Amino acid sequence: MDTTFMQLKRIKLLLGLLGILATSIAFAQVPIRVGFPMILSGAGGQFGTPILKGAQMYVDEINATGGVLGRKIELVPRDTKSRPDEAVRVARELVLRENVDFLVGTFTSGEGPAVSVIAKEAKKVFIAVAPKTDRLTAPDAIHPYVFRAAANTTTEGRAAAMIVAKWNIKRLATIAPDFAYGRDATASFVAHIKKLRPDIEIVDQQWPKLNESDYTPFITAQLGKKPEAVFSVICCGNFDSFARQAGAQGFFKSIGNNFIGLGEAGSIEALRALGGEYPLGVYANTYDAFYWKPKDTEVARLHAAFTKRLSTAFKDDTPPSWALQGYISMQFLVEGIKKANSIDSDKVSTALKGLEIVSPQGKITMRAKDQQATRGMLWGKAANRDGYAFPILDPVELIDPTLFMD
Amino acid sequence: MELPSLSAIGAQAVSGLTTAMLLFLVASGLSLIFGVLRLLNFAHGSFYMLGAYFAWQFNTWLQGSFWLSVLLAAIATGVLGALLERVLFRKFYDRPELMQLLFTYSIVLIVSDVVKYIWGTQQLGVRRPEILSHTFQFGELALPSYNLMIIVISLVIAVGIWLLLQGTRLGKTVRAAAFDREMLSMLGVDVRMLYLLVFSAGCFLAGLAGALVAPMSAIVPGMDADIIISLFIIVVIGGLGSFWGTFLGSIIYGMVFSFGILFIPQFSLFAVALIMAVILIVKPEGLLGRENTR
Repeated sequence: MDTTFMQLKRIKLLLGLLGILATSIAFAQVPIRVGFPMILSGAGGQFGTPILKGAQMYVDEINATGGVLGRKIELVPRDTKSRPDEAVRVARELVLRENVDFLVGTFTSGEGPAVSVIAKEAKKVFIAVAPKTDRLTAPDAIHPYVFRAAANTTTEGRAAAMIVAKWNIKRLATIAPDFAYGRDATASFVAHIKKLRPDIEIVDQQWPKLNESDYTPFITAQLGKKPEAVFSVICCGNFDSFARQAGAQGFFKSIGNNFIGLGEAGSIEALRALGGEYPLGVYANTYDAFYWKPKDTEVARLHAAFTKRLSTAFKDDTPPSWALQGYISMQFLVEGIKKANSIDSDKVSTALKGLEIVSPQGKITMRAKDQQATRGMLWGKAANRDGYAFPILDPVELIDPTLFMD
Repeated sequence: MELPSLSAIGAQAVSGLTTAMLLFLVASGLSLIFGVLRLLNFAHGSFYMLGAYFAWQFNTWLQGSFWLSVLLAAIATGVLGALLERVLFRKFYDRPELMQLLFTYSIVLIVSDVVKYIWGTQQLGVRRPEILSHTFQFGELALPSYNLMIIVISLVIAVGIWLLLQGTRLGKTVRAAAFDREMLSMLGVDVRMLYLLVFSAGCFLAGLAGALVAPMSAIVPGMDADIIISLFIIVVIGGLGSFWGTFLGSIIYGMVFSFGILFIPQFSLFAVALIMAVILIVKPEGLLGRENTR
């Protein structure tokens, strides 16, 4: 064989190797690390797991296009076990030992404010994915590093009041878990319904503890007060047991299905788990629904495309509703980093204020004044529809939260 | 405050009794195991949780044959209990309570992870059988037939266990073991076999309760931790190791909790805990417990 040819081949090989080396150096750029404290076990684990997966889905999409500022994103998930103290412990560990650049996560209204304190100490931007308590961004608790991609108890409670105000009822009862979220959502609802319908009387208020397993005594006690409608914040994986036990007591029937379930009682997860036992005709809310058909054609296109990717990622034609919350939260963070052109938390914090993203549900703004996203929720009436193995919300609509934001 | 109607009080009593009877099924096993084996089994709630998961699994395999699923779930829990007794629990009978607590707590953690690994964190549900889906209506009082069935089954089992303990040779041996096991083994009784039987029976009862609760509640990881606290409150009130004490403790727990919700909703849990605290101070061995249990 010709020696020059051999030499040429060798040079080519060398160049090839160099090329590989060069690209691998580029790829070896340290990734941007995002700590992700989330409920991954217990009753709430069924929601935390899809949230994490939704966040990872966004991260994979961004990384496939080369990441942000030329760097990849890496999620560092930790299980908060549905306990505020554990959330604090893992958040601290993420900041101190794992050297994460940002925190995104938390589920309950117990965990959110607790992790917010850590974010303030560490001066790291923290985006709360799911906690709704107004306390998180109350004037005395807010600081430059805490942002919320979730809805909050003000908008959720007031949206519920708007729906209930149209009902022909006078005697109203409430049932909510006895912790920040349940208390705040009920307070916001009661204040607003009293404004809209001064003739309505609150005849009973029950406060079972979070993760109560036996709702029967609460249900019978409430029925004893003869309400005509019930407002519920039974959330966080507890709606199943509640609905089963309430159904057995004839609860929904005796109030003529005048029931409104907050706390994502209308999520795919809850609808699927209860199946044929889901109380038909009641109102419930959810963050997302694969079957939702937005009126706006552009939003419809975005949402359909997202749902398709979600189905693939979850290998499920009826993918969970919570994944979108993880997705949107990561979208805010990454677009904030892009706008700031830096991973410095102070700069990202400034960039996030007033930032508008185009989410799979349309435009959402991170308001500058209270660092709260204009995140609405889907509300609808549970019904059986052909082609679905479990009940869905139909009709269902996205209620604009800016109607209720101060 | 407007007073609740008679039917509301009736409904409250039935719901309290349902809670009480389900808890009794589980607590009786815990109490029996402590009374005979002197083992403080913190993992007892895990067997209850396993019963619920087994019920779901059998119900899925058998496509909705509910009663068979409940029975198989209880048996499976009993068999698993027997296996674990042979391999693990047996080694801790004569250890100090702290060791037992630490060991059985580690079993709680292991079981909860295994459950998550096998069944995932998604909550599962079992449909109640059609014949038990309706509600008896007495005027304004609505009584779900499923709750009544649980009360009846539990009462039958309570009486059954009591007759077994009082009237049969096996029952006498079990009671004798609770008093003096050295003497018993000297008399030629196979104490190891007896322990295996008692432990397995306790697990069977816990599994049965878990299977029966499955259609009323969501089957989720964490069921174990939720129930164990209630169980300990019950055995403290009634007397650890005492059969009727456990029964009484369950009734008190269920009723105080249930009527607490009706009259002072904010303090229902507080009331139960208060009773426990008072009993710990005034009568530490529990209402029907024997003094100086060792």
